[in-house]
Amino acid sequence: MKILLKPAKKLSATFLLASAIFAQPALANGPIGEHVNHLQANLKTYNEDVEWMVSKVDTLVSDYEKKGAKVVNTDDLIEYWESVKFHSAIETNYVPVYASIWQGLYGIKMAVDNKKPASEVRLQQQAMNNALWQGLGAVKLAAQFQQKGLLKSVKATATKEMTQSATIDEIKHKLDRVVAKYAERLSDEATSIVHDTYLHLFEGVEGTLIEQDANLVEVLEKDFNVTLPQAISGNKTVNQVREVVVDMQTKLTRAQTLIEKAEKSRKDVF
Amino acid sequence: MERRTFIQGLAALGVAGALPLSLSRAFAADIANPVSVDTLPKLKGALTLYLGRGEGGLYENVLQAIQKKNPDLDLAIRRGPTAALANTIVAEAKAGVKRADLFWAVDSGAIGLVTDAGLAKPMPSDLSAQLQPQFRYDEWAPVTGRIRTLPFNTERLTKEQIPTSIMEIADSDLSIGWAPAYASFQSFVTAMRILEGDDKTAKWLKKVQKRSKTYAGELGVVMGVERGEVDIGFANHYYTLRLKSGKPDAKLDLAFTEQDAGCLVNASGILSLSDDPLATNFMRYLLSVEVQSYLASEAYEIPLVNDIKQPDGLPKLTSISPPKIDLTQLADLRPTIDLMRSSGVL
Repeated sequence: MKILLKPAKKLSATFLLASAIFAQPALANGPIGEHVNHLQANLKTYNEDVEWMVSKVDTLVSDYEKKGAKVVNTDDLIEYWESVKFHSAIETNYVPVYASIWQGLYGIKMAVDNKKPASEVRLQQQAMNNALWQGLGAVKLAAQFQQKGLLKSVKATATKEMTQSATIDEIKHKLDRVVAKYAERLSDEATSIVHDTYLHLFEGVEGTLIEQDANLVEVLEKDFNVTLPQAISGNKTVNQVREVVVDMQTKLTRAQTLIEKAEKSRKDVF
Repeated sequence: MERRTFIQGLAALGVAGALPLSLSRAFAADIANPVSVDTLPKLKGALTLYLGRGEGGLYENVLQAIQKKNPDLDLAIRRGPTAALANTIVAEAKAGVKRADLFWAVDSGAIGLVTDAGLAKPMPSDLSAQLQPQFRYDEWAPVTGRIRTLPFNTERLTKEQIPTSIMEIADSDLSIGWAPAYASFQSFVTAMRILEGDDKTAKWLKKVQKRSKTYAGELGVVMGVERGEVDIGFANHYYTLRLKSGKPDAKLDLAFTEQDAGCLVNASGILSLSDDPLATNFMRYLLSVEVQSYLASEAYEIPLVNDIKQPDGLPKLTSISPPKIDLTQLADLRPTIDLMRSSGVL
């Protein structure tokens, strides 16, 4: 199986971003597990997890191909994924690909449940496999960063400074989690993340931002309060929700530039 | 307009009445001169601060400046939503654990949760004396204030057309923007419950709801007013000032009610959970001329220390007439949320 990796440069930025926002003591599926603070020591396990997942899913799809839907239980797909340690390793390090894995899993599940041709199921399987291998690559790279001390341990208490620019980074990360939870079919949780991100994070930078670009704030207000929640409640595809999020993240990058400029011109406290 | 003073230490009567300022306090209300940071003691040692989120990073700038000025200060910061941190402090105390030395909250309701639990240490009188008399409390120091206001669209209304009573607004024909899920709004409703009672508040909520448009946050309310979606809104003052700063031609101005919850002055505040003088000395930095001026000019917050220039675009505190209310009475939002739910607002 060929490992599909994004350019290291792009991933590096992602990990530096991720390192700035580790503050998730527990995930929807339960505790993270101490292993995510020792990625290098667990790479062999993660590799075995991915190979096991690929193999188990392939067996399920092959059974479907040969004997039909009656002989498979697609709920097993979710059980497989939630049973492996790699699950939380990727969720804490590269949320966008974590979302793609869930998207692939449900792609297979829905194709089988709707008795689609095996060729269509295989396409979904390929997409999921690609995401799994890409995720493994991402975790390996994260392990290197962690070894160099560039990734913080996952802790409930963040002591890192939270500048307005860093707040924008956190907002972007939360939006990635929205896609991930939506891909997991946890729409209520995805919507809660949107609301909490707006109230606890975006609200805090709006004041500075509105002095720089009132129109940009207007647009983002609508994105947070109308466009994204409606995409989730309207049962859009994962890709459509992701498109809304990517568009918001692009606007947030512009917001970040404006905020950094404002911070530079801000007077000193003392 | 008649100036009314705040009172600290009100009995929690839950009614409109308030105890008069005690004579001893009234006579003791000498106002100390504001203190420059250059005259403050150096901070040396370890402190853990629980910082309520919501100020958008400007408090962080203050904290960084304090740390830079005090290289021997080892400051650990735990961040989170203000209410969640207040609950954490109480829960930790019940479990026999004390992790926080200081709690800097963005609203006084959260402060009340901690003081009600008997966890806050007494404030030194010389520190309290720097605050304006109506903002002096035994166990916490308000840092900056924010006023409830009525932003209005200047193309649709003049200030004279807006009632000066928050209760009368419910009977007016004005269209209204509000954010009922917003913590500041819920504090305002809590103040109304305390001042007017639950029945009147419930009726007011139901009447207003019929002519209101709901927004997620109060900047959204102010922007909705400016776009002309509604005539007036309910919002803290700084949203309007910031929007006008970014959009000087905004069709927007501020009106105030008089002597009711509609012009409540709420405050962010800090309290000490530690007997270590280091914690108290840290608090002094937040009341310094420099920090108060910085938060006024950069965050549009109202300085509560004497003789500090207020944010531009805001009338002097002496020209408005906020209600008599002990801010820590705003701590328990549950009855308010229950009332808002039973009224169909939430």
